[in-house]
Amino acid sequence: MAVKVLILEDNPVARSFLCRVVRESFSDAILLTEAGDLETARKHILLTGGSQGLHGVDPFKLILVDLELPDGNGMELLAELTHYPATKIVTTLYSDDDHLFPALQCGADGYLLKEDRFEVLVEELQKIVRGQPPLSPAIARRLLTHFRSGSGGATDSQAPDSGFAPAAFTTSKPIPIEKQLDHERLTPRESEVLTYLSKGFTIKEIASLMGIKWFTVNDHIKSIYKKLNVSSRAEAAVLASKQGLV
Amino acid sequence: MPAMSAIPGPPTSDTLPRPTAPAPSVISGFGPSTLEPQPAERRPLLWIGWRRRAMVSVALLGCLGVFLLARWLAGTPHLDTQWSSNARGQLTLLHSPLPELQGFQGRTLVAIGSATAESTALPVDAALLHRSPRWQVNDAARARQTTQNEGLSQLLATGAVRLQFDDGTAVTVPAQLRSYAGLGLMFWPLAGLAWLLLLVAGVVMLARPDLRNGLFMLMSLCQAGNLLFIALETLRGLGLPEGTILADLNLRLALDACTGAALLHAFALHPHRLPQARHIAAVTWVGVLLALALLHAGVLTPVWWWAQGLCLALGVGALAVISLSYRQEPNPFAVVMRRLLLIALATLVLVTAAVAASARVPAVAHGVAVAASVAWYLFLASLLLLTPFLARSRQLLREFAMLAGITTVAASVDLLFVAVFSFGPFTSLAVAVFAALAVYAGARQFILDHMLGRTLLTTERTFDHLYRAAREVQARPQRHPQVLAQLLRDLFEPLELNRVDRVPARSRVLGGGSALVVPLQAAGDDAPLTAALQLRYAQRGQRLFTHDDARLADRVVEQLRRAMAYDQAVERGRHEERQRLAQDLHDDIGARLLTLMYQAPNPELEDYIRHTLQDLKTLTRGLAASEHRLSHAAAEWKADLSQRLSAAQAQLGWACSFDSDLLLSVVQWSALTRVLRELVSNSLYHGNATRIDVSLQFEGESLRLIVADDGKGRTPLAWAHGLGLGGVRKRVKLLGGQVVWRENEPRGIVCEVRVDSFQPPQ
Repeated sequence: MAVKVLILEDNPVARSFLCRVVRESFSDAILLTEAGDLETARKHILLTGGSQGLHGVDPFKLILVDLELPDGNGMELLAELTHYPATKIVTTLYSDDDHLFPALQCGADGYLLKEDRFEVLVEELQKIVRGQPPLSPAIARRLLTHFRSGSGGATDSQAPDSGFAPAAFTTSKPIPIEKQLDHERLTPRESEVLTYLSKGFTIKEIASLMGIKWFTVNDHIKSIYKKLNVSSRAEAAVLASKQGLV
Repeated sequence: MPAMSAIPGPPTSDTLPRPTAPAPSVISGFGPSTLEPQPAERRPLLWIGWRRRAMVSVALLGCLGVFLLARWLAGTPHLDTQWSSNARGQLTLLHSPLPELQGFQGRTLVAIGSATAESTALPVDAALLHRSPRWQVNDAARARQTTQNEGLSQLLATGAVRLQFDDGTAVTVPAQLRSYAGLGLMFWPLAGLAWLLLLVAGVVMLARPDLRNGLFMLMSLCQAGNLLFIALETLRGLGLPEGTILADLNLRLALDACTGAALLHAFALHPHRLPQARHIAAVTWVGVLLALALLHAGVLTPVWWWAQGLCLALGVGALAVISLSYRQEPNPFAVVMRRLLLIALATLVLVTAAVAASARVPAVAHGVAVAASVAWYLFLASLLLLTPFLARSRQLLREFAMLAGITTVAASVDLLFVAVFSFGPFTSLAVAVFAALAVYAGARQFILDHMLGRTLLTTERTFDHLYRAAREVQARPQRHPQVLAQLLRDLFEPLELNRVDRVPARSRVLGGGSALVVPLQAAGDDAPLTAALQLRYAQRGQRLFTHDDARLADRVVEQLRRAMAYDQAVERGRHEERQRLAQDLHDDIGARLLTLMYQAPNPELEDYIRHTLQDLKTLTRGLAASEHRLSHAAAEWKADLSQRLSAAQAQLGWACSFDSDLLLSVVQWSALTRVLRELVSNSLYHGNATRIDVSLQFEGESLRLIVADDGKGRTPLAWAHGLGLGGVRKRVKLLGGQVVWRENEPRGIVCEVRVDSFQPPQ
């Protein structure tokens, strides 16, 4: 059976470029679905079992989401798809942490910078799918402050606008708070990795500095991503709602 | 008390400060009529503090005392007559409502005698009018005055007195009881002032019962006694209660001497306790007691000169002590006290000189002696009333200075007129009040300046300071505490300025005006008060802080806070504007460039557009973010280069060191980012380098960036200056540095960028 991939991108040229990247990246048979705006993307997702993806017969395995879309922000969709069983990747022109961090908080598994060369994009995409997401120093720094500020999701997210949180929760599965607290703490190793990343070290350099294998460093990064997703879910929902309102 | 309504009230209680517990209820009025209902009205059921209760009882006791005195005096006999002294020092009848004396106007009195036995006639002259033996310069005149006055009192006590005139006629006049109306106009204000002194003494003593305040109370009570004596001696008509004149000299001498000694003693303890305070006090008190005993025994003659000498000596001693105290600790209280003391001493010297000079002219001697001494005591009483409230409020001080000034001048002018020009009491009082107001209006500024210390800072200079401080805070909000401290230093010129941890909600005056504590608010609107600045000894120890100063400090703090808030709002607005601009650029131009890049016909053009796109991104990021930390920027540069080089199969050697993690301005950040990118691009695409070594150093103020490759580039001097190199030169020039290219060994190119004074953003 072909692997289903959804590409959400409003610029047709960029869309076809991304299609080429996806095709080049995987050896499996690929069934590409293209969408130019959020509405179309939502329809396609509904056909494959809705945003929960629970009853989906054949859900998308990979979703590429552009952030700037004619009818909204890609983050809205990401926030809706927090439980969708697919690898979600943000494709954007913005490489700064101000734009990428919220997207990662919304549940993206990685990001691709659209201006990169074709070969670079193919490699990066493969890495993300393999579980080696990129992490720039700026985002690492943001992550450090995010986790250091402690109680993260529970208090941070609800403090700014508590009226939003319950409404947002009802659209998705309620999150058990205790479990969340367990998840959002970084292990000392993960903090160390983040600190090195924030200082601009490469994965290989970190591996040799910490005396571990490079794929262990990658595991740490993956775990950090997951914790960020979990801890930010409530915040992300609020964020997405706000983005949608703007 | 019918006379009460005519008396102008003291400053209303609204203008009075509240801090000392008993103050409001205390200085609220002269008489019991205004005092009594107050506590009951204001706090009908509340618990009244013991101090307040004690204060109320002191006030009531004072009223009772004044009333009993008045009642006793009203019951004493007198002759309701008005006399004047002629050139020969004899008494001439001016006016009398008594029916027996009708027709005797203008006749001269030569002797008084008992109504029954003519033989015991006592010759009298103008000395009979002289009331206070304390202020009689001539010892012989004092003896005559005492004899005549006491004789008259004894005769009046028998019920009638026989007056013999120079034309041989004699008339027997029955002694009348002095009614309340017969007490005269001056009695009530003087008694009221004495009562006020008692109250202030009570307030001070109850606020903190210790030796210093005890000494203050002693001084106040002594002066209250003096005022009561004066009140007694200004009674209308002829004849005083028996024994008054006899007791006057010794008692008033004792009161004066005790005041002086207490003053000297108090200055040895306050504001700074002198190490030799004990000795000073002992010597003073022993000396004073000895002098009093000698004066009483009649050893020291002439008495008046010795008495004035003793008072002046005590004053000079007090001056010396307060000067010594100031030298040991520059407390502005000492300065103000020294100033007041100097004024008081000068007044005393003037009074003494005036009385001594006029003693040679019998016609005016009595008038001047009475007027001068009364003026002196009123002045002293005002000073005593003023002292505890020096730091309370400038407003109160002003009122007080006005009241004291007017009272003093009015009383002295009034007495002078009555004595010298023989005006009627009402005429003289009216003239006196006008004259006093005129004199006060002229001397007001002088009085204020000398009581409060110079106010050197004009409004203009204050505004200038404030404006500059606000500008500086706007430019550098993080310097807020230093700017505020500097501003307060400029405004108040304190001797000491330090941070304290005890933070009041508003600025407060402490230590009786010697210190001012100003809360220090951190940047941000609702930031908690974390620390406070304590200013001690305003105007280099020349001035006391007042409540007005505290309010001014509060306003200054508020203004600075507003300046900061304004600055933050402006910065926010600029930031938003830049972000919007960046967003537009990024979204519109970026998207188009991207489309163009995807459709590029060949890789060279694609790279060129990619490069342009990256420059655009750097530009927009520079717009969006206001400043970048060097360490953060370096981390990003390294991560970026690592990625690019690994994609190009090249190695990166990265060395970065800096001794301070400065904040890069947008210009600096974007210039360095683009220089670095351009240099690495050149090495990769033109030199086909396989290894690039980047070294970034920041030491002191100089920045050095070296990019070395092992590519095929050679002879940099021969290069054509294309767009890329021109861009590098331009940006390095923008940073204020130089760039050189040279050949690397064994192969490749080294580019060195050097910026000698790499300034942090202003």
